[in-house]
Amino acid sequence: MTISPISRRHLLQAGLAGAGLSLLGARPGRAASAVNFQLSWLHSVQFGGSYIAQSKGYWADQGLEVTLSPGGPNAPVEPPVVAGTALMGISAADYTAAAVANGAPFKILAVAMQNNPFTIASLPGNPVHEPKDLMGKKIGMATANTPVLQALCEINGVDMSAIEIVPTQYDAAPLVAGQVDCLLCWLTDLPVAMTMQGIDNVTMLMADFGYAVHSQTYIATEDSLKNRRAELLALLKGEVAGWRDYKADTDAAAALTVEMFPDAGLDLATQKLQAERQIPLMFSDLTEAHGFGWWSEDTVAANIETLGLLGRKVSADLWDRSLLEEIYSS
Amino acid sequence: MRHLLGALAILMLWQGAALLLEGRFLLAGPWDVARYMAEHAGLLGRALRITLLEAFLGFVIGNGAALILAVTVILLPRLQALIGAVALLVFCLPLVATGPILRVLWGPGIGPQVTLAALAVYYTSFLPLVVGLRAAPASWFDLVESYGRGPFTALVIIRLRACLPYFFAGLQIAAPAAFLGAMVGEFTGAERGMGVLAIRAMRALDVEATWALASLAAGVSILFYSALGAVGHRLFPDRPALILSAQSSAQPDNWVLGMLRAVALGLASLITMLLLWWAMMELGDVNRFFGKRPADIWHFLVTAPEAAAHRATLWQAAQDTLRYTLPGYGMGLALGLGLAAIFTLFPTIAAGVLPLAIALRAIPIVTTAPLIVLALGRGATGTITIVAVMIFFPTLVAALQGMRQAPGQVLDLFDSYGASRFTRLILAQIPAMLPAFFAAARMAVPAAILAVTVAEWLATGSGLGNLMALTASTSDYNMLWSSTALVTLLAGLGYALVAMVEKRVLAEMAPEQGIGP
Repeated sequence: MTISPISRRHLLQAGLAGAGLSLLGARPGRAASAVNFQLSWLHSVQFGGSYIAQSKGYWADQGLEVTLSPGGPNAPVEPPVVAGTALMGISAADYTAAAVANGAPFKILAVAMQNNPFTIASLPGNPVHEPKDLMGKKIGMATANTPVLQALCEINGVDMSAIEIVPTQYDAAPLVAGQVDCLLCWLTDLPVAMTMQGIDNVTMLMADFGYAVHSQTYIATEDSLKNRRAELLALLKGEVAGWRDYKADTDAAAALTVEMFPDAGLDLATQKLQAERQIPLMFSDLTEAHGFGWWSEDTVAANIETLGLLGRKVSADLWDRSLLEEIYSS
Repeated sequence: MRHLLGALAILMLWQGAALLLEGRFLLAGPWDVARYMAEHAGLLGRALRITLLEAFLGFVIGNGAALILAVTVILLPRLQALIGAVALLVFCLPLVATGPILRVLWGPGIGPQVTLAALAVYYTSFLPLVVGLRAAPASWFDLVESYGRGPFTALVIIRLRACLPYFFAGLQIAAPAAFLGAMVGEFTGAERGMGVLAIRAMRALDVEATWALASLAAGVSILFYSALGAVGHRLFPDRPALILSAQSSAQPDNWVLGMLRAVALGLASLITMLLLWWAMMELGDVNRFFGKRPADIWHFLVTAPEAAAHRATLWQAAQDTLRYTLPGYGMGLALGLGLAAIFTLFPTIAAGVLPLAIALRAIPIVTTAPLIVLALGRGATGTITIVAVMIFFPTLVAALQGMRQAPGQVLDLFDSYGASRFTRLILAQIPAMLPAFFAAARMAVPAAILAVTVAEWLATGSGLGNLMALTASTSDYNMLWSSTALVTLLAGLGYALVAMVEKRVLAEMAPEQGIGP
């Protein structure tokens, strides 16, 4: 699957837009040691550990040349990973479960965010501290996330029909402008943006109220896990080392991010705050004991239960810890 | 001078609105925008350079493709209707679906951005080219034939020269479209560029940056639009006003035959589209997980056990979409037409407002939609207004151009009878405008559907736009492709419907302006 499409893909590229264009994109066919790693969003300190791995040569030392491909609002992670144009991608347990239900042969190899970053953000004058505060409120969110709110309500015995969902774009303006009472967002983005703009805000992390869904998970296909195991192992090793450094000095990670991507329009102070807020999501007693990216049977069981509430039936073998075990046993 | 006053009025309105909305993080005034631009000149400059490069490559490739298509149509006139229909359908493909697939095909780099920029321009360049390649007196072609030369010589000696003014008019429209196409292309996972900065700015609640980027995008679009306009004006001082007409020349002599022809064309374009779809997926060896084939969608919607449920979901979403599209479309056309009439009656107003028209057309809808939603709410009114805003300016411009087409002698006649301005408008200028108006009305169909799907995705959370965004994030690619096919089909049907009305109306009202050669 990874080798044969090249000639035909090039044929299509030529047919699409003229042969001259194939100079523009990176060629899919590369040396064996070069891999593409698909991130889930635009470059930011969200992937700080990966940038450290890149700049400190944690991958190069293992003979691996890694391309970090940014995501975006119209760039789902799953297709390039299934197609093999990316060896590994960053997804989340719920997206991965959905993709598997639709026929993608994915395994979760490691879990960067032990605690799901979904948060209800509100303003101090009309705060949401716990799920039952949601009743009678207008919540701004992408309708795609309705099952997330549903699951939270079910876990905490809150009547969902008492909440008014207002479809919004992913930005904090509707909350600040008073169109909604609260927002469903990530702890590390819109609340950080509001704080940086001098707007006081209240956050309620859904993970603190039973919403257990692994986020920023590393995924690869079963086929890659079998046939490109050494490269995947090297990739993850670099990640583990990079995130270890990240934890030791988040400010340095933020500075590195801004320096590596001068065209991304990143603000250093914002990146520093985001880097700091990310720490409690990524590191826990579990990772202290076993290492970055780890999970236990208990956390997987909790995930399976929450995913069930989201309408996704998965079994524990969606998670494959063999690479992490290999890394931490040596 | 008038332009300057118009620009000043716009700036004041803008600043006023910004002051009114202060503290709500929705709109930054020109003063803040200018300061942001000065402080971040380096960043903006680098982003602009990369997006301009993408837009330029897309512009060249898209217009090249348009030229090839147009020449093919001229050399093989029997295929004109089919090629035109398929070109339209490809133009109508929704970005939500094409973006990720292009990214997988191209891998990292600027491939998808360039492709989307090319896709954004080729159709609006193809239409005037087809008209232009025929815009020469028949006697010239007779002359070529009398020398014993064939269609190829005629193409090189007569047609390619005759089409230049039309080609230029197409380029003028294509320039802003290519820029917006490249920006939206950056949403598919780009390293840098204006689109990347725009996403970041909106999420960071950085209104100054958001509006600086929107202003820059609008400024660049206006610049290229005006520059190409000026060059065209200098090269071809007596060039015709552009009418985006893609009607086939064959006027059927009876109604039944016309219907039969339309149905046959519809079927032929449908089959061609399905073949193209299948061939793209197979030749590209696109993975079946997300690259669904026509047969997969047939199974999903017809033969699968849950097919009825799938169809019900799709149908419900389509109904929601149509409920907003139709009134928005009607309102947009009416507004464009009404304003064109007012401007024709009182020409002094037009000079101030037209630059605003071009500017507003050049601002990405993703930036303006939240403002409209704030003012009018997330219900029907807001969504319908977004659709109307998207299509009313092109309609206005086309209708104004068309009204100017009223022949001088005819207007002189009205004057000599002392007819009022209003009579002149109704009896001379509006009939003269009809071909241009209908051309705009046809092009407004895909624009309206694009606007409504974007609004649904960002503001209402219903309809096909929402369904496409939802299914893309949950890997439900069968439903995504089904929605994509349906959106494309609806756009194609809407276009055909408007074209049918156009034929009837023009046959009655303006037979002398018979569309085609």
